[in-house]
Amino acid sequence: MSSFDESNYVTVPSPPFDTISSIRYHPSNPDQLLVSAWDTTVRFYEIGEPGGRKNEAKAKFDHRAAVLACSFNMDGTRAFSGGLDTSVRELDLGSEKISNLGTHSDSISSMTFARSTNSLITGSWDRTLRFWDPRAANAQTGSYTTPERIYSIDHVNHTLVVAMASRLFHIYDIRKMDTPAQQRESSLKYMTRSLACMPDGGGYATASVEGRIAVEYFDPSPAAQEKKYAFKCHRQTIGDTDHVWPVNALAFHPTYHTFASGGSDGTVSIWDHKVKKRLRQYPKFVGPVGALAFNCDGTRVAVGVGYMWDEGEEGMRSNQVTPWVGVRKVGDEVKPKSWTGN
Amino acid sequence: MAKKKNKQLIRPWCWYCEREFEDEKVLMQHQKAKHFKCGMCPRRLNTAGGLAVHIQQVHKLEPDNLPRIENALPGRDGYEVEIFGMQGIPAPDVADYKRRKEIELGLAAGTISQPQPKRAKIENRPIAEDELRRQLEEHKALMGHNQAENSTAPESSSGAVYGAPQTYAAPPAPAAPPVVPPPGMLPPGMPPPGAFPGGPPPFPPFMPGFPPGGPPPGFPLPPGAVPPFPPAGMPPFPPGPPGAPGRPPFPPPPGFVPGGLPPPGFGPPPGVPGASPPRPAAPHFVPAQMHQNQASPPPPSSTPGASQPATPAPPPQQPAKPEPPRPQEPVRQPKLTLPNPSLAQTNPEFKKPTDLKVKDANFSPEERRAIHPKYFYSGVDTSQPSSSHAEEPRGKKRARAEDFL
Repeated sequence: MSSFDESNYVTVPSPPFDTISSIRYHPSNPDQLLVSAWDTTVRFYEIGEPGGRKNEAKAKFDHRAAVLACSFNMDGTRAFSGGLDTSVRELDLGSEKISNLGTHSDSISSMTFARSTNSLITGSWDRTLRFWDPRAANAQTGSYTTPERIYSIDHVNHTLVVAMASRLFHIYDIRKMDTPAQQRESSLKYMTRSLACMPDGGGYATASVEGRIAVEYFDPSPAAQEKKYAFKCHRQTIGDTDHVWPVNALAFHPTYHTFASGGSDGTVSIWDHKVKKRLRQYPKFVGPVGALAFNCDGTRVAVGVGYMWDEGEEGMRSNQVTPWVGVRKVGDEVKPKSWTGN
Repeated sequence: MAKKKNKQLIRPWCWYCEREFEDEKVLMQHQKAKHFKCGMCPRRLNTAGGLAVHIQQVHKLEPDNLPRIENALPGRDGYEVEIFGMQGIPAPDVADYKRRKEIELGLAAGTISQPQPKRAKIENRPIAEDELRRQLEEHKALMGHNQAENSTAPESSSGAVYGAPQTYAAPPAPAAPPVVPPPGMLPPGMPPPGAFPGGPPPFPPFMPGFPPGGPPPGFPLPPGAVPPFPPAGMPPFPPGPPGAPGRPPFPPPPGFVPGGLPPPGFGPPPGVPGASPPRPAAPHFVPAQMHQNQASPPPPSSTPGASQPATPAPPPQQPAKPEPPRPQEPVRQPKLTLPNPSLAQTNPEFKKPTDLKVKDANFSPEERRAIHPKYFYSGVDTSQPSSSHAEEPRGKKRARAEDFL
C-alpha cells in the first residue's frame, strides 16, 4: 500500500482546532461544505481545485460547547447545528447570524434535513427525535421518544433510519411518525458507530465499533432480508493479535451507489456493496478518520481526521493528532466495475 | 535586577518540567515555546495567566475547560501559579529543588539551601521596625502586582515576605531563614509579627517544603496559631482539574456558608471578588512551611475560625461567586447513567486474541468525551453572563500583569 500523499488532497484553510464531528456537502454546490467540530465551531468552506481557484473559509459559527452535528437546509443558504449545548441552531451562511430554534434535553448527536417535508430532524441522547421547521411559529414541529439514546440518524426519500445505543434500530416513515415502521436489533454484535442510507432507497449500511459493516435492506420480506450481510474491515493483525478499530463514518456515493467507510485505523475504503467487493483503500491518513462526505455531483470526497476519543483522555495524550480536513478528487475507484452508466 | 546566588550550582530551571537552562532568557524562550503555547493557534504567551486569558477570550473556552499546561510535570500543569522565568516559583518547590540538587551534586545538605555566611552576618541582629517596613516595601515593589492582592496588613508581612514567590533572584527573599536567633528570643512556635526572615530554623540542614507531613507529635498547639488554608500537611498544590465543575479546589472550611461572608479570620477576598487563584497560591503554603521551620505546625484540625495574624488571608481559593447558586439549579452532571439499565449491553467474547479499541458496550466515545472536563457543558445558561462578568477583573489584572512583565 502506498503511503499518504497530501498532494492528493486540497486542505481547508483554517481548519478546526479539535476533532471533526461531521462534514456535510452543499445540496447543489459541489465545492461548498460544512464542518462541525469539538472546538465548538461550525465552519463553512468553499474548496476549489488543488493549487488553483479559491479555497476559502467563508464563515465560522462559534457555539457554547462542542458541535456534534450540522446540516444544510433545502437550498443551502442556511445551515443547522447541534451538539453538547443541546440547542438546535439555524445558521445564516450569508450574514453569519445564529438563531436558536429550541433545545433537546441532552446533547444532539445527529441531524438530517428531510427535503421531502422541508424539515430538519434531530436525534439526541435524551432519547427523542425532533422535527423542526424554522418558518413555523413554533419551530419544533414534532417530538418522538425512542427507547434508547440516539447515536445516528439518516434518511432517504421518506424513510428515516435511527441508530440507537444498545444496538437498537428504528425505521420510520417520515409522514407517519407515530410508530416506527420497523424495529430492529443490529445484526452486528457491538455498539453501533455509524449509519448511512443507500441513495437508491433500498436499504442502509451500518457499522460498529468492532470493525465491521452490515448492509441491510428495508424490505421486510424474507427474500430481501436474506440478502443482508456483514463483513469485517478496519482491522489489522499484528503478531497474533487482531487490532480492531471502530468504523466512524459511512458515506454513499450519490450516483454510483458505492460507499466509503472511514475508521479509527486512519483508513478510508470504497466498497461496492452489490458485488461485495472493496474497490479501493486510500493510503492511511495521519490519524483516525471521523467524518466523510461525498459532494453533490460525486466528484469529490471530504475526509475529516482527528482523535476520536476511542481510548479516552489517555489516548489523546499519547497520540496527538492534529485535526485535518482534506478534499480529494475521486476517479473511477468509486465506480462499480460493472457500471454501464444510466 | 537580581544578583544570582549559587550561580554555578543552580542554573535557571523551569518549574513546569524541571529542565535547567543556561540563563533566564533561554528559560523564558523555553517556557513560551513549551508551556505557554496555545494549542489552538500559533500564539505563544508569556505566562500561564496570559495563556488562560488568551484561550478564554480568543478561543472562547470556559475557564473550567482550559487545557492543562503542556509538557508539565504532574501537578504542575495548572494555571494557579504565575511563572515567568524563575519568578513566581512557590518557595517550597524552590527549596525542594535545591535540596535535590544538593543530593545530585553530592554536596553537603544545606550548601545551597542554607543561607550564606555573609547573609547570616547581616541578619544576625535585631531588625528595626522601620527597616523591616522598608525592606517589605522594597520587596513588594520588587514583586510588583503580586503583593497587591495579598492582605497588606502589617501583620501579614512575615508570611508575605517570606512567602514571596520569588526566591531565586531577589535578595530580600531568602529561601531559607539564615540564622538561628538566640533561644528564648522569640516565643517558640509563634511567628514574631513582622519578623523578617521568617522564624528560626530549628535544625541546620532543614528541608523546607520537603516533608509536608503532619505536625510532629507532642507539639502543643500554640494558642491562636492556625494553619493557613490549606493546612500544613497538604501537598503543595493540589491543582485538581479546575474543570471539575461545582467542586471547589479545597473543601470549604467548616462553617463556610456558601454565598455568605467568609468565615471570621479569613479576610474578605482582597481586591476583586473574582480574585485569581494563581496568586494567592504561594502565600498559601508558604506560611505552612514556616510552621514547619519552627517545628510547631498547628495540626490541620484547628479551627479556621481563629485568627492568625501571621498568615495572609487565603480566601480566593474558596469557591467564589458562581459556586453558591449552583446546587439549586438543575445542572447536568458529568456522569454517565444508563437511561434503561435493562437494555445494558455486554460485548461478546472474542475467539482470537483481539485488541478492541473501543471497549465500552454501553456508552459511545462521544458520550464519554462529553463528560470530560475539557468538553463538559453543564447546561447552566444563566451562569453564562455572571461567570463571564466575574472573570473580567481577572482578565484585566492578567493583562496588567503582562504589561508589568
